[in-house]
Amino acid sequence: MLAEGKLKQLTQLIDGFSKEELIWMNGYLAGIAANGTRQDAGVIHTNEPKIARAKKITVLYGTETGNSKRIATTLASEGKKLGIRVKLNSLDQYRPEDLIAEEFLFLIVSTHGDGEPPASARSFYNYIHQTDTSLPDLKYSVLALGDLSYPQFCQTGIDIDERLQTLGAKAIIGLQKCDVDFDEEAKQWIHSVVNIKQTESSGPITKKDINLNGKSKTKKIYEGTIRSTINLNDKGSNKQTYHLEITSAEQIVYEPGDAMGIIPSNRKSMVDLIISLTGIDKDLIIETSKVTGRVEELLRNHLNICHLNIPTIRKYASITEHTIPDIRMDLVDLLLEYPLADKSLFGQVINLLAPIAPRLYSISSSPAAHGDSEIHLTVSRHSFHVNEDQRFGLCSDFLGELAAGTSLQFYIHKNRSFRLPESQLDVIMIGPGTGIAPFRAFLSERDAMGASGRNWLFFGDQHFSTDFLYQSELQNFSHTGVLSKISLAFSRDQPEKKYVQHKILEQGNELFQWINSGAYLYICGTKDPNSIDIENALLKVFEDHGKLSREESKNFLVMLENENRLIKDVY
Amino acid sequence: MTTPKKLSPVERIKTESHGLRGTLKESLLDEITGSLREDDQSLIKLHGMYQQDDRDRREERTAKKLEWLYSYMVRLRLPGGFMTSAQWQSLHHIAGEHSTGVIKITTRQTIQLHGIIKSHLKPTLKAFDLQGLDSIAACGDVNRNVICSAHPNQSPAHKEIFQYAEKISLMTLPKTRAYYEIWLDEEQLADRNEDDPLYQDRYLPRKFKIAIAIPPNNDVDVFTNDIGLIAVVENNQLKGFNIAVGGGLGTTHGNEQTYPRLGTLIGSLDTEEKILKAVYEVITIQRDYGDRSDRKLARLKYTLDRIGVDAFKKELEHRCGFTLDTVRPFEFTDRKDFYGWQPGPDGKWHYTLFVENGRVLDDENVKLKTALYEIAKTDKVNFRFTGNQNVILSDIDDSDKDTIDLLLEQYALIQHTSQAGPVRKNAMACVAFNTCPLALAEAQRYLPSLISKIEPLLAKYNLQEEEISVRMTGCPNGCARPYAAEIGFVGTAYGRYNLHIGGDKLGERLNTKFKESLDESQILETLNELFAIFKNEKSGNETFGDFSHRKWISKN
Ligand code: SRM
Ligand SMILES: Cc1cc2nc3c(=O)[nH]c(=O)nc-3n(C[C@H](O)[C@H](O)[C@H](O)COP(=O)(O)OP(=O)(O)OC[C@H]3O[C@@H](n4cnc5c(N)ncnc54)[C@H](O)[C@@H]3O)c2cc1C
Ligand SMILES: Cc1cc2nc3c(=O)[nH]c(=O)nc-3n(C[C@H](O)[C@H](O)[C@H](O)COP(=O)(O)O)c2cc1C
Ligand code: SF4
Repeated sequence: MLAEGKLKQLTQLIDGFSKEELIWMNGYLAGIAANGTRQDAGVIHTNEPKIARAKKITVLYGTETGNSKRIATTLASEGKKLGIRVKLNSLDQYRPEDLIAEEFLFLIVSTHGDGEPPASARSFYNYIHQTDTSLPDLKYSVLALGDLSYPQFCQTGIDIDERLQTLGAKAIIGLQKCDVDFDEEAKQWIHSVVNIKQTESSGPITKKDINLNGKSKTKKIYEGTIRSTINLNDKGSNKQTYHLEITSAEQIVYEPGDAMGIIPSNRKSMVDLIISLTGIDKDLIIETSKVTGRVEELLRNHLNICHLNIPTIRKYASITEHTIPDIRMDLVDLLLEYPLADKSLFGQVINLLAPIAPRLYSISSSPAAHGDSEIHLTVSRHSFHVNEDQRFGLCSDFLGELAAGTSLQFYIHKNRSFRLPESQLDVIMIGPGTGIAPFRAFLSERDAMGASGRNWLFFGDQHFSTDFLYQSELQNFSHTGVLSKISLAFSRDQPEKKYVQHKILEQGNELFQWINSGAYLYICGTKDPNSIDIENALLKVFEDHGKLSREESKNFLVMLENENRLIKDVY
Repeated sequence: MTTPKKLSPVERIKTESHGLRGTLKESLLDEITGSLREDDQSLIKLHGMYQQDDRDRREERTAKKLEWLYSYMVRLRLPGGFMTSAQWQSLHHIAGEHSTGVIKITTRQTIQLHGIIKSHLKPTLKAFDLQGLDSIAACGDVNRNVICSAHPNQSPAHKEIFQYAEKISLMTLPKTRAYYEIWLDEEQLADRNEDDPLYQDRYLPRKFKIAIAIPPNNDVDVFTNDIGLIAVVENNQLKGFNIAVGGGLGTTHGNEQTYPRLGTLIGSLDTEEKILKAVYEVITIQRDYGDRSDRKLARLKYTLDRIGVDAFKKELEHRCGFTLDTVRPFEFTDRKDFYGWQPGPDGKWHYTLFVENGRVLDDENVKLKTALYEIAKTDKVNFRFTGNQNVILSDIDDSDKDTIDLLLEQYALIQHTSQAGPVRKNAMACVAFNTCPLALAEAQRYLPSLISKIEPLLAKYNLQEEEISVRMTGCPNGCARPYAAEIGFVGTAYGRYNLHIGGDKLGERLNTKFKESLDESQILETLNELFAIFKNEKSGNETFGDFSHRKWISKN
């Protein structure tokens, strides 16, 4: 098809490219063919810096949902524009042993879970906390991403910053903490970073006080009303997955891929029990470091009384003078097992309690399809055992029990990386269990917009008959052609367990063809065990159908991730 | 002549099915739904299965954004209703693994499993195949399961007569290998000759049923079949069969052209060759003359009445190349199962067990399913299903009788059988809700409790020992043969039944609709009145059916 001259050009061009680079290019070119435009994504600029005096800096990021990465990438490209040599890497791909050799290190890291590092930062985090190697020559700065609604705001950034200092490194710009609206602070931080380099001033710099603690623009809180709650699982299922429809009098600003944040209330029965166990006056006004209010109100709506963390348990032990093992438990269980000698102590106990942390739920509706004053969630009732006792997760249980008409406050948690590509591009969505939530939003959106790209969904759960979430809607999408292909795995419908990863392997050939022709891949759902097995299956598919070695497959996966063509939202 | 009428849609589906293959393979691979493509839903019947859905759950599932709870019912082809212990054991496991777990003995001596989801169909049929069981032609427009008087003590010639069920079944099997390819993964061979001289590519216009009765017991209700064969046994020797044609019960509410009909005796046959030939040619006549445009009027009974019995017989003799002999005398004295232990002619023992409406399951009163499994595990019995939805544990050596008796005692089955009153033990109900898509009213889920209310009425008039046959169906299709009962309940709407009375005890006279659309209290009120009059006015041993006929039906 190519003229000989062009073909020769092409062969010369690709001479020396690795196999995974070629496959990547294949997808890249398919994208261009589909778009008619050139994409910049994933292209790493390697042109030599023009300013000779520029130094070398290392930029590392630890991300879960892509925000840190985006900032790191911006920093890298800003730096390069100014002729700085930038080494950019994700923390999980960086060898922490190399720290000793670094001169300038800039680290962007978010906080997840209960004040924990993102998965990709965990090994780095552990390494620096275990090593004794001192880093006297290292100059660094940490940008910490977080969310003020969580009790342990920016904890990972704080921990890393502290530890690097302990190891003798010098913070050339003080720790920068950011709330969810981090754009402004991030921009300023980047500005300071690149300026340091350009002036080549490596001496201690007085940190510009851009600490924003307390100045956070609070996020928008919506007042919603539950329109309906239905359990999507049929009788006989082991699960309860609620489809919630929430309406609001005002417009809700969100995009498919975003999540909803909710701060659950504690169970009334638990609060009543605490009050009766401690004998405290429920109307007593108490002032804690964060909130002030009636005891009952604080316990019900503000303070976390579930699954207290170890530091809190230890402090409780010292207040009450009990010997208590390091086991996380609910406040009620603590009070029952290690009672207060005197109810006056309860004031101190209340002061130990952290605010209730918000829970996030992927939004399963799309504004284009469902209107912008309505929002849907797909919530699985979390169930677990504490000493044989069946218990339910606080928020998921709370949501499932909300009757129609109940009001509910929530906010939108933006997920800027989890977005649909341009409408003509193909999309592969892998979402077992509640992982289907954002994909229902994606499919509805693409349906409403008349997007021409193909859509392929992988879904799985326990039983076809009882657990096929949104089955009839998916059938409609399939009939109308919005859903080009659906691959299903119901784990317990046959003697041998079968999961989405098995389906991925089964469909490997076609899946690889889709990816090869530029399809975007999304993974959503619980991290353990789903997303890990899914990634392994993808690697196998790359090996088998892309004829790549294990190592090349891994590189290919990383390339897809870097290019934002493999996007995960796992929890 | 009349202009040819438009063929019913099912005709196209059959002829275009490539030997009943249709797109069944594709339908099975379609993971997003538990149902089949529309045409395949018709075709699967000829493989012995029905697509159904749980009608109790429709609304709720729709609200849950789930499709209806589709599942499949599998009906085995089991000529004469015979099964070995080993087969029962695997049936027990298959039911537990793939279906609702309930094993249903039908009114045609076979087994149905319900609630099998699509992905379990192939494993189910493969498991049956390992035991030499199949469901070929158990449903659909073909000859169905051939039934035969069940009890071996019926006659010393029972074994020989019984073999005719198997012979006729094999003779009338469709020739296509589709079943083996679709369900058992047999390879499709392009050059295999699948010419089917009997069914051609159109199969029959409608279902077709054959029964073999061994007088004096008409336990198979021989006259309700398209072909009824009545064994002629003299001096313990099989001498041939009388043949009756054109029986059938299904009707449609509000369609005056439909009616139940008992078969008409047209002659007798004396050799195996002639018998098989005559059966075969009755089927070809129905194939060629049956109505293929209106399925409501497609059964042989309508063909026969349209052509006329004499013309029909002439055509049959023409096709056979021989004439039929005259009808040989016979007499039926019963139409029931003889419960409990009975010796057979060859010294073996047989125990007939009461299974209410044919439903084998464990409940709080009786662990029937477990008991039958334990009995099957002894490997000392065969299972014979009766046309009254019961099971005979049969062919037990004298030396093994105690072992089986002990198990029957242990699971209180002897008590279970003997404690049930005569009306309950003679009653039948069809499946109806929640699986039967045609049901208008409950039947097997309801009749047991209704009988508990009828029994005291009978007791009130000291009639509790009367073996009145009571049969109930959830719609007018007649699956529990309610039109051939002394008291027939035919569902018209949820909780409402037409009351039919005046049928005889032996299946030789149909009953007549007496009252329409009664609810339970009206049923009980009416029966109360009827029983009172029956008690006062019956003469001697007159049965309730005969009395009702004399008193309320024939006079009108
Ligand atoms: C299981 C059984 C009743 C039982 O409780 O035992 C039964 C059950 C059904 N019958 Fe029947 N019939 C059963 C014996 C009968 C009988 C009695 C007999 O054959 O001795 C009759 C009356 C005799 C006759 O054929 O006329 C009978 C006349 C029908 C009809 C009406 C046929 C007609 O000519 O009008 C239908 C409806 C139809 O074919 O359109 C029907 C249809 C059905 C279906 C398959 C409903 C359907 O078409 O979707 C029922 C399945 C319900 C379920 O969920 O299991 N069934 N059906 C019997 C299975 C027999 C077997 O093993 O093959
Ligand atoms: C981006 C994102 C999107 C998400 N999307 C969805 C979604 O679409 N649908 C969905 O259902 N979920 C989703 N989740 C998960 C959701 O946010 C919650 O994590 C989940 O519902 C559990 O919260 P909970 O309050 O019900 O449970 P919690 O009460 O917080 O319990 C969580 C866990 O803590 C432990 N625990 C709690 N109390 C005790 C105790 N007393 N003793 C011992 N252990 C204890 C248990 O292991 C339990 O499993 C998402 C999460 C994220 C981060
Ligand atoms: C499940 C979850 C838990 C979180 N926990 C915390 C927390 O404990 N403390 C905090 O400051 N921020 C917390 N956050 C907020 C994130 O740090 C914030 O959204 C950040 O912008 C994410 O950056 P990333 O995309 O680079 O991971 C949490 C976010 C999620 C989704
Ligand atoms: S009689 Fe009617 S309701 Fe009963 S099983 Fe037959 S078709 Fe269904």
